[in-house]
Amino acid sequence: MTAVLAICVAVTFAVSVYLLLGRELKAVAMGVFLISHAANLSILAMSGSPILPTPDPELGITKRPPISDYDFDGALRHGDIAAPLDVMVDPLPQALILTAIVIGFAVMGFVLTLLVATSRKVQTLDVDELATGEKRHDPVERPAADGTVQGGAA
Amino acid sequence: MTNRWIVLMVLLPLLTGVLSTPIVARLRLSRVLGVVGLSATLIAGLLLLNNATSEQAGGILVSQMGGWAAPYGISLVFDTFSGLMLCAAAAVTLCGYVAALGTLDRTVERRYFHPLMHFMLAGVNLSFLTGDLFNLFVAFEIMLMASYGLLCLAGGEAQLRQAYKYVLLNLLASALFVIAAGLVYGMFGTLNLADLMRIVRETSEQGEALPTGFTAVSVVLLTVFGLKAAIFPLWFWLPDAYPTMPVPLLAVFGGVLTKVGVYVIARTFPPIFAAGEAAEVIVPILLTAAALTMVLGAIMAVAYRRLRAVLCMFVIVGVGFALAGVAVGGETGLAGAAFYMTQSMIVAALSFLVCGQIENRVGSDDIDDAGQFSWYRAAPWLAVVGFVLAMTLVGLPPLSGFYGKLWVVQAAFTGPDETPGHSVWWLGLAGLVAGTITLLAALRWWTGVFWLGREDQTEEPPATQPASTGPRSLTLAVALLLAASLWMGVAAEPVLALAKDAGTNLADPQRYITAVLQPETTEPSYASTHGTTTPANDQAHRASPSTPEHHAQDSTPPATHADDRFGPNHPIRLRGGH
Repeated sequence: MTAVLAICVAVTFAVSVYLLLGRELKAVAMGVFLISHAANLSILAMSGSPILPTPDPELGITKRPPISDYDFDGALRHGDIAAPLDVMVDPLPQALILTAIVIGFAVMGFVLTLLVATSRKVQTLDVDELATGEKRHDPVERPAADGTVQGGAA
Repeated sequence: MTNRWIVLMVLLPLLTGVLSTPIVARLRLSRVLGVVGLSATLIAGLLLLNNATSEQAGGILVSQMGGWAAPYGISLVFDTFSGLMLCAAAAVTLCGYVAALGTLDRTVERRYFHPLMHFMLAGVNLSFLTGDLFNLFVAFEIMLMASYGLLCLAGGEAQLRQAYKYVLLNLLASALFVIAAGLVYGMFGTLNLADLMRIVRETSEQGEALPTGFTAVSVVLLTVFGLKAAIFPLWFWLPDAYPTMPVPLLAVFGGVLTKVGVYVIARTFPPIFAAGEAAEVIVPILLTAAALTMVLGAIMAVAYRRLRAVLCMFVIVGVGFALAGVAVGGETGLAGAAFYMTQSMIVAALSFLVCGQIENRVGSDDIDDAGQFSWYRAAPWLAVVGFVLAMTLVGLPPLSGFYGKLWVVQAAFTGPDETPGHSVWWLGLAGLVAGTITLLAALRWWTGVFWLGREDQTEEPPATQPASTGPRSLTLAVALLLAASLWMGVAAEPVLALAKDAGTNLADPQRYITAVLQPETTEPSYASTHGTTTPANDQAHRASPSTPEHHAQDSTPPATHADDRFGPNHPIRLRGGH
């Protein structure tokens, strides 16, 4: 199961890095959203206890992996692993993920609003055009503005 | 010592923010509420700092949120270091807010400027107070969310062109932070900073290895915090995004937000993430980054032609100096960093507000344009203020920039523990070189604006120019910050004593660990009345790993099963056994 999760994390990361390297801000934003999902998945994959997976003879505790497989469930049903309470999932990483998802959701809303506002005001979402203030194909159309360090509206 | 009132530092701005949200259209009421709320936060900070330094508190105030004992709940910690940062942040935010009241357009002010300002301070204060790594992430997000709003507040084209850099980079940093926090929890089973300090310390004392991949997590966290602090080479967004903001917001952002990043590095890296095996990788990175941030930042400050960008580079040079103190470590280095950060928060905010006054006269922040203005007829006092400011930025002796730089450079030359072989002389040299280039940059902008103006110019400034340096609230804010800065230079003793204490605490985290993990119990604990194992019992067990009984256990054979990576007495194992 860990291998499957690891592959999921790797693929999500790869796709988001590809998107992040794009020119269009929409793609970059999607890349950032995806990378936060990859982060959450990777927490899920590595959550659990540092003393997994063998039962500890001293303490008698086995923490369950976050997503268990059939073998583990079978062992639980057969009674090979003692009390169900002792094999409960560590809830803290899931609480972390939940918090990160909620925050990420709010931020996603903000970023999309920012992109809409930017595209209405500046008429472009291309990274180069935002930086230089020039259309990439027909530079005569817009007056050149000093994009790097603006005086701003004080 | 337990002190429940420290939560006020987060609650007061949060409450003010919540209250000012529904009355956002009623400007007068919002302004009064805002000034009252921010002043209350500042006063609470000063009182708590006074309380923390009192005899019985021992420099550290702790509050366990929800009453859950330390490694299980979230702890808020108010020590001299966080206290200095909190007071300076509250003062800077108050002054920036006051300046904004007269400067900002009313339509801009109605766009939820007041609540955003308070929420940002709440996030900043929580970052300074928190003693938990994941709670730090939440604090960062509160702070960033409000700062995104403030960054785009005026909604001008220039702002929107640059805002995405700041927003998307910080989002990326947040994703990395989440991954790193998850990895830390997977490795140590705790996110409490004091507990992490204890585990790292005891692990290295027992001569055992830290978990595999610890260095990698440290590097990821350094990237995250370095991006917030704008250290080289992660600073490129700052001179792009910051100068597009209105001046009072620029003062708060430039003064406070970068210091949060450096504060977190100073708080977590020397005792946790740059300890043990990670030191071999992290410490050289920190030293090099500090040296490059100082020197290249100073060179860039000479190169820029716009005053706002020049001052942004001065902020970055300040970050470099504070980081140098942290990287060298030791009591002197960390104390220097603590003092320098406090001072540079106030001076950075002051410099941007003075820049605002110059702009109000000239109409732009271009140094050459400002040089065409005849300052001696219109506002000679502004030239004097500008000169004092420039020399404070450089750090000439009677002014407040001096002591922090002195301690940092001194620590670099003598080394963290004052043994001959540990000197980081090249960093000290970089500090001195950066100081010299900063002098050049400061003189360049000061002479460019105030000195080289053509005296013989015949044409009067056009009538469209505003006749004053700005509204009275801006002048008031400049006066307050200038007074604070001068006071920190001339009567530095109390602040220096606090910074010294902060440095001692940071260099040796034992007091911090004891204060957070073993708060003195005034009420009978649940365990003593019910006879069951509770976190309190567990804590007592954990807190005495070096008793003879435990050392006796060291010699017993390790646990029998093959997969056990940690010995029976390993600090990680000692946690959570119940």
